[in-house]
Amino acid sequence: MLFWIKTAALFLVRSSRTSIILTLMVISAVSCLIFLSSLAMGVNDAMIRNSVGLFSGHISGYNIPDNIQKTDLAVKGVANVLQRVEVIGFLHFKDQIDQIVLVGVEPDQERKTSAFWKKTIKGRFIKKGSIEIFISEPVAKRLGAKCNDLISFSLEPGFKESQFLVAGIYKTGISQLDTGIAFCDIETIKHGTMENYAGKHKYFWNGAVFLNDGVDMDMVLQKFQNKIPDHVNFQTWKQLMPDLEQLISLNYFSMSIVIVIVFIIVSLGITSAFSIFILKSIREYGIMKVMGVTSIQTVSLLCWEVFLINIAASIFGVIFGIIIVSVFQKTGIDLTAWTSHNQYFIVSGVIFPRLTAYSLLLPPLSALVFSLPAAIWPAIMISRKNAAEILRGDG
Amino acid sequence: MIEIKGLSKTFPSGRGVVNALCDISFSIPRGTTLAIAGKSGSGKTTLLNCIGGLECPDSGSINSFGINIHTLKKKQLSLFQRQNMGFVFQFGNLLSFLTVEENIAFPLILNKMYCNKERKERVADLLEKIGLPELSSALPSELSGGEMQRIAFARAIAHHPKILIADEPTANLDTKTGHKLIELVFSLAKQEKCTIILSTHDQELIRFTDKIVNLLDGRQIKNE
Repeated sequence: MLFWIKTAALFLVRSSRTSIILTLMVISAVSCLIFLSSLAMGVNDAMIRNSVGLFSGHISGYNIPDNIQKTDLAVKGVANVLQRVEVIGFLHFKDQIDQIVLVGVEPDQERKTSAFWKKTIKGRFIKKGSIEIFISEPVAKRLGAKCNDLISFSLEPGFKESQFLVAGIYKTGISQLDTGIAFCDIETIKHGTMENYAGKHKYFWNGAVFLNDGVDMDMVLQKFQNKIPDHVNFQTWKQLMPDLEQLISLNYFSMSIVIVIVFIIVSLGITSAFSIFILKSIREYGIMKVMGVTSIQTVSLLCWEVFLINIAASIFGVIFGIIIVSVFQKTGIDLTAWTSHNQYFIVSGVIFPRLTAYSLLLPPLSALVFSLPAAIWPAIMISRKNAAEILRGDG
Repeated sequence: MIEIKGLSKTFPSGRGVVNALCDISFSIPRGTTLAIAGKSGSGKTTLLNCIGGLECPDSGSINSFGINIHTLKKKQLSLFQRQNMGFVFQFGNLLSFLTVEENIAFPLILNKMYCNKERKERVADLLEKIGLPELSSALPSELSGGEMQRIAFARAIAHHPKILIADEPTANLDTKTGHKLIELVFSLAKQEKCTIILSTHDQELIRFTDKIVNLLDGRQIKNE
């Protein structure tokens, strides 16, 4: 067998021009397919990153009692836990009134981890320790309030009012976040002016848990469930946003179809190129047949040629694919112009392609699987024709 | 002994069926040289191909050292050709991707003859005998026509075949080079006790051989 491997290698090396062209073809096919599948992963990642990064985190915890601390949720794999406390009440400005959920947040932590504050359209995000409020554009319109206006909040109309300075106005484009919500410093609710609401009632908080890249969400959820009492409800982004999960599945499915179609087209090209490459040298196989090379040995030689050229080209193709993906992983591909009105790209339209074992291994494996049959037809032809026919050119 | 009896071969063509060979019979004792002579298109190559097992006759038999080669299965025929035959064609037909040394060693490796060192010695010895020791690492594309034919002969006899079949081996060489080559090949073949069958239309060359089969339009016209 070693003799046939060596002969195949010599054939490829010494038919350098044809081998280089064929190698370049496989390299470009493999690297393009690696990039394409990495891009598909990147689009899905971007949708998840945008959706969970805006506000909710990968896992949302609801009604967590105040005896459970943030640190209790900081298990392995968790990047940050954002604590939020909600109270339902009414905002008053001049003669306007609007029912809202006032969410107390940690301004510094929100800035650090979530992207919600980036959706500010006027003014700025609230500061830690300030008695400020951050309202949505629809709420501001309904109340007729602007930045730096003083607006009041009460649990019910006629109850004691607390005054807030409008620090900023935001707009996310997502109705759940733009309708009936306002934000203030969590301390205001827990210990400050809102003591009336928080102090009298034992408060429960909500947690937005942000995970590190590549962490298994279900594993973290399992740890929470082992640690935290049963009545605390944890939901993953998949449960909170089934539409996104479905969209990602759809994207995987449609991209798989596209990749398969591209694979088939590329593979047909590779198969044809390999057949032409082999048939171009059919006389050489005829000479070998004259010297007593059996059909099985011819098939073995052809398969080794195809295998070796594929291995070499696939290695370069994978390296080249990794380089292309790495470059775009650093710079990103800015598709903001095509995503600016899409809620799943609400924070950023920049796509970062991501390599997976699937995207890395499938293209070279497919190139090999599709090119090996290319050796079969010429091999059958060579073994069926007699040597004289091949040498005469009747083959 | 090689015995050919009633050999016939036809080819389909645009104008119907061409009788390439018609009822050819002759025998060649071991170690002798035979020339198949005739004009272009007389069926010389077809006859050589049939003797070498490269082509299957329509009728008749070829008994090569006790074996009717056309009754052999494909693999058996390949093994028979590999062990017992050496071929030289008009254009040398060296394997273009192998060096001179690798070309000559190819039948030795196929036949699993010699160890590495002995194989190298055999190749070097043959190159020495054909007067081209300096070309061992050259590729066929770097050789002249005469050099290529000498290498082809060296490759054909490297594995000590019983039969050497040469199809117009000097057709592309000038007369002087051609005759020198044939003298060399015949002396080498004698040392190897090899039966030589060659086709040619060169009357000068025919004088070197022990026997002649003359062909005209696929028919045997004289047997000396």
